[in-house]
Amino acid sequence: MQHCPYTTMNIPGNTVVTSGTDVSVFERQQARMKWQQQQQEGLFNGNDHQFRGLVEVKPDPGLQYGWPDFSDGCQGQAIPSLMEDHNLKKRKAHEDQKQKVVLKENSVKEKKIKGCSEENSAETSSKEKPKAVEGPKQEYIHVRARRGQATDSHSLAERVRREKISERMKYLQDLVPGCNKITGKAGMLDEIINYVQSLQKQVEFLSMKLATLQPRLDFDIDSLIMKEMFEVPAVAYSAEVANSAYFQVNSLLEMGNNPIDAMLRRSIGGPVSIPETFVVSSCFNQMQPGVTWDGDLHNLYRMEIQQESSTIPFQPHKFTGLYEGSNLKMEL
Amino acid sequence: MNLCQQNANSKEAKMHNSCQLEKEFINKWVQGLQICNSSSKKMNLLERKKKIKLSADIAIASAKNLTTSWSKAIISEATKDEQNMTLVKNVCGPESKFMYAHQKVTSHKRTTSKKILKKCYGVHRKMKKMEPCRGSNLATCIAKRLVKKRTQVLKRLVPGGELMDEYSVIKEALDYILSLKVQVDVMKNLVNVTTSLS
Repeated sequence: MQHCPYTTMNIPGNTVVTSGTDVSVFERQQARMKWQQQQQEGLFNGNDHQFRGLVEVKPDPGLQYGWPDFSDGCQGQAIPSLMEDHNLKKRKAHEDQKQKVVLKENSVKEKKIKGCSEENSAETSSKEKPKAVEGPKQEYIHVRARRGQATDSHSLAERVRREKISERMKYLQDLVPGCNKITGKAGMLDEIINYVQSLQKQVEFLSMKLATLQPRLDFDIDSLIMKEMFEVPAVAYSAEVANSAYFQVNSLLEMGNNPIDAMLRRSIGGPVSIPETFVVSSCFNQMQPGVTWDGDLHNLYRMEIQQESSTIPFQPHKFTGLYEGSNLKMEL
Repeated sequence: MNLCQQNANSKEAKMHNSCQLEKEFINKWVQGLQICNSSSKKMNLLERKKKIKLSADIAIASAKNLTTSWSKAIISEATKDEQNMTLVKNVCGPESKFMYAHQKVTSHKRTTSKKILKKCYGVHRKMKKMEPCRGSNLATCIAKRLVKKRTQVLKRLVPGGELMDEYSVIKEALDYILSLKVQVDVMKNLVNVTTSLS
């Protein structure tokens, strides 16, 4: 993939686009008017692929935490070879986290690629009317209309919006397990919803579990161990218990090697319908063992309820066994 | 081959970032739990669970340093209750951040009242929408409605989601998913450690 430096120069054949998260339609319209005055109507490719160059601006905290290569991830996935030839500007997020974003649009369709690669030298492509747009300090999006598409500002704005959303969706495919085969917004949203719900339920469940394990909310020992582990990786403990716990924590935290973990991860893929969330929360409060639904975490909660009623300290061994059983059920 | 390298790099970077997040989360969470514990009241199971969950949520939200909307929403939600103020203050840190999170509350109220008004007219709008849908349009109409319904659900799930437009909700959801994963991982490991110790 080509890495082009960020620039706002008036290079013929390249269009520069800036975008901000808070773009008002009016500003956009203004920009577009101004822009249209400067140049004639052009065409360029406004494909999904193209808009992968669109970068998000400064308040994009997700970038700090795991989207550092959003562009690469996206572009790596399905990027057609034609993109490789273009002078796509790199995503802002990839380089730095400034306010302004530059998107460089390139020209038309597959046939025109070769013509476009010579943009810098010649403005000969009849379908391409490239010109850079001044205004690095402005925070709005300049978009060029594709050939044969409506050119009024609303539809352009709509299109930009849609492209943004589809980009995010692609990133989500990486994040949410089991999304590779699903296309289309509705399905993706469904998966996201299920995943978020299952994660939230897990948190609830785990906090309940911790509450049963610790009669006094006293996590001092563990906290000490974990803190030590992070701060001084090679601390020698005299206590045997501490040692074994230390190693266990170490291995657990580093490898995430945990049968329950793996089971839970696999179980997330199953869809869980929305009304079940209410059922789950009521389970804890009312302890209704008669709840029957097909969620993958169903057995999990039932187990927990039974444990509560019998007030036995929770044993992970039983748990794993139960998961193995439920794992089989998941295949249905 | 460049792509492979980049993918590997991105995964490493993600791991690194999430490790950092985990550390911060653990520290803040333990801090919060100690504060809860110091109140020295005898709590039953459900109360304990609520405290644990609350401190975990606040910890993960503050670990984000208020850079995301959902974290701000969590904190402003927590500060509504007077009892949680000390917890939030100590976990979050300096006063300035805390105050900013508090401001979000008022804007939320205004938007909700607007939304209530809009919902009253929403029914009529839906009826009007249905009329021009014919033939091939029908499929797109249905698809749009599905998407819309699902975004509404997602908005309800992600904390602070109702205030945002569709695009930001997806963005926030991404970040929220990452943080939830971190939370879940840490909690699981803590549970394992605790069970192995006892």
